[in-house]
Amino acid sequence: MSKKITIALAGNPNSGKTTIFNNLTGARQHVGNWPGVTVEKKGGNLKHDDYEIKVVDLPGTYSLTAYSLDEVIARNFVVEEKPDVVVNIVDASNLERNLYLTTQFMELGVKLVIALNMSDLAEARGQKIEIKHLSEFLSAPVVPTVGHKNKGTDELIRAIVDMAEGNFNLDRVTIGYGEEVEEEIKKIEGLIQRDAGLMQGYSSRWLALKLLEGDEEVIKKVASEKEV
Amino acid sequence: MPLTMAPRGKEVTLIGINGGRGVRMRLHSLGLIPGVKLRVLNNNGAGPLMVAVMNSRVALGWGMAYKIMVEE
Repeated sequence: MSKKITIALAGNPNSGKTTIFNNLTGARQHVGNWPGVTVEKKGGNLKHDDYEIKVVDLPGTYSLTAYSLDEVIARNFVVEEKPDVVVNIVDASNLERNLYLTTQFMELGVKLVIALNMSDLAEARGQKIEIKHLSEFLSAPVVPTVGHKNKGTDELIRAIVDMAEGNFNLDRVTIGYGEEVEEEIKKIEGLIQRDAGLMQGYSSRWLALKLLEGDEEVIKKVASEKEV
Repeated sequence: MPLTMAPRGKEVTLIGINGGRGVRMRLHSLGLIPGVKLRVLNNNGAGPLMVAVMNSRVALGWGMAYKIMVEE
């Protein structure tokens, strides 16, 4: 009996999600060196030892606050359908912007594996990325990959399986917002926790943050739950 | 000054965004945050303009660019 795992490939536009998808599944989805090639989610399968892994390739997104329709698809899959592991494909040559989305996954509290893609390009530009430190900061395994040369794929699969099985003991990192905001977060969290129906598998901190942010989708969700 | 006033080739620093939560969050997620350095790659005095930010290029509509305040 094989074990089933669902994983989602998520990341900024043009970070190489579809290239990694093709490496993982042996599929030949269309890739291009410009953002916005993948505009719908695509699925594929991968067998590894006793595992049957369903891989879902998502359209690129800059943040979990959805802006365009393809971003809504990406966000809803991660937030609503809750894959077992989210593989965050990160463009190593543009870490600063890419890691913004990563911090949002951390806040959402998903099981996260980072694929540090285009790591050859970063090296060629003279950047040396300290994998171990980065992994500690993000409390997630970081696997360097070079998508178009199919490098790091096996290591990535291993990290995904280990993460799905809970074999990583990483301390959860909480992103702080300063005293004033934290006080409000605590208040809202308290209100949320009183209403068990609101949680629906989300962390109360994440819901509180999104309510504070004025996230329309979360406000709608909370409002509809209130009516029931 | 608004980003729309920066000519092509100019390097500027973003100092703020005159806009609501929606546009601020959108621009932040693209890497357009206060303090970041921008280089104007194209500005035709109308229509979209293009900037280099954090190792990538971002095209902005005129209206959005007008909300981005920069200094030299």
